[in-house]
Amino acid sequence: MRIVVIVRQTPDTEAKIKVAPSGDTIDTEGIKWIVNPYDEFAIEEAIRIKEKLGKGEVILITMGPARCIEALRTGLAMGADNAIHIKDESFAFTDPYALAKVIAQEIKNLGEINLVLTGKKMIDEETGQVGIHVAEELGIPHVAIVTKVELSSDLTKVTCQKEIEGGQMVVEVPLPALITCERGLNEPRYASLPGIMKAKKKPVKEVTIDNINLEALGLTKEALGPAGARFRVTKLEVPQIQRRLRILKGKQQDMVKGDEVAEAVRELVRLLREEAKVI
Amino acid sequence: MSNEIWVVADLTIGGDVRKVTFEALSEARRKLVGKLGGQLCGVLIGSGVSALASELGKYGAEKVYVVENELLKDYTPEAYTVALSELIKKHNPYIVLAGNTSVSQDFLPRVAARAEAGLAVDCIDLDLTDDKRLVVKRYKYSAKSIATVEFLDYKPMMATIRPNVFKPEEDAKNPEVVSESVEIKPEVIWTKIVEVRRKESPRPELTEADRIVSGGRGLGSGENFKLIFELADAIGAAAGASRAAVDSGFVPYEMQVGQTGKVVSPTLYIAIGISGSIQHFAGMGSSKVIVAINKDPDAPIFQKCDYGIVGDLFEIVPVLTEEFKKLLAQQ
Repeated sequence: MRIVVIVRQTPDTEAKIKVAPSGDTIDTEGIKWIVNPYDEFAIEEAIRIKEKLGKGEVILITMGPARCIEALRTGLAMGADNAIHIKDESFAFTDPYALAKVIAQEIKNLGEINLVLTGKKMIDEETGQVGIHVAEELGIPHVAIVTKVELSSDLTKVTCQKEIEGGQMVVEVPLPALITCERGLNEPRYASLPGIMKAKKKPVKEVTIDNINLEALGLTKEALGPAGARFRVTKLEVPQIQRRLRILKGKQQDMVKGDEVAEAVRELVRLLREEAKVI
Repeated sequence: MSNEIWVVADLTIGGDVRKVTFEALSEARRKLVGKLGGQLCGVLIGSGVSALASELGKYGAEKVYVVENELLKDYTPEAYTVALSELIKKHNPYIVLAGNTSVSQDFLPRVAARAEAGLAVDCIDLDLTDDKRLVVKRYKYSAKSIATVEFLDYKPMMATIRPNVFKPEEDAKNPEVVSESVEIKPEVIWTKIVEVRRKESPRPELTEADRIVSGGRGLGSGENFKLIFELADAIGAAAGASRAAVDSGFVPYEMQVGQTGKVVSPTLYIAIGISGSIQHFAGMGSSKVIVAINKDPDAPIFQKCDYGIVGDLFEIVPVLTEEFKKLLAQQ
């Protein structure tokens, strides 16, 4: 079983986002980078499948600047076997269209594979379209937003439970297939100390911009950077939503007590009705 | 290349047109149709869906393409991709819009790939540049920033819109209905549907709800979520939860609102016993009015809400539920 996991490095979920002086991207100064949380579920699932079968290969692939090696090392420390880093500083800006095209091409270069896993969305770009686009380029089925994965005993099919609005669905697709992983699928492990030591020696193949057959993909060097392949970010803002901040408190202490409870509730309902006009 | 702006209808499992489709039609009419000098069209994909064309007309669709096929009865990404891709190939629309629903998120990336089109998802603003390229706004970095994204000159330009952001507004038209037959070979359908489990919930879905009541760790137990459900039912709201409440096992993950849960955008969001982490705000920060009830006056949510009561939720919530019931009974 050869399993490919598409990984992205994203700012930590707690990171404070500041706009860079250029006005169209974030200021990366002081940002702590992590493995995209949903991709962690994908890495964990790939390792579990390999462990269960007792054999196989888990290959991580990422496209991004030099810093992304840290995300690959984390996945390798968890138990992946090797990794591919499609590396260029301009790839911090690659749009989803070009990301999918280039990543799919590198996966094709691997020859026969059985399964591709990735997160249901990249929390920085806030989209889950890249994985599905990769499946389309590879000509294989996909199942998105999956909370349970079960391979058939002859390893020709996979049955997945996926979340949909107003319910759940169980679907079966033939392998090879691409699956995007949702929280609840598993509990990702922490890398062990020996795992971290071993990860340092695991092979990471670097693919540079000159190794990509851009013409075959209908792309240019510029299209992989801020100029975009299909669209580009022209402005980034940190939203300043003005909230009313009308906080009702008790007279003696912060908490409303006794009669103050009913009073505060009546006042809240009045404000919602007369000021905010939402009830 | 035509100057048509398409809105692909999103349907519920029960086969009704989702509100987000009307929102997309309305915003396209307000912001794009005039500037482009284009025609607003609806697209219906499914089996036995042609009767829904008049509903799209109610919100301004002048033309409705209907692709009906027995193989489109149940949603599969493969069949839907063929249906929409073939339609795009034949008619070359300028812009293709849809709601950012689980179905559209599932098959539009494939359609965009086939059309070699850009696809911007979960947009909260739509416009055209002077040279008639689509320009959208969308959240990035866990709702902590908003990006303005300009399409390059490739058509179609595709985008999905966040539910509950744009106002649906009727503009009754009697649409021309264009029936299209698309050949779908059964062997291209890889996905076999084994089972569909619909949740029989009396409450609206979180992502579409106009009002949401969410509970956090402060509820203390799953049983105490009864307070949340009663309040929600009193005002016809959906019920949500913070990650802390889900991780504590009070309620299932499908109720989680936040960075690693559902992204919602209701008119009214009532957060009860929720401290208001950055991750929670990543899922509900774009709500129009936020109300917080928490006993900790220093909870971060009190820095980012419209109205709040500092106090014991177990004392406040039942009184609030009764007060809402009284008020709504009068109306």
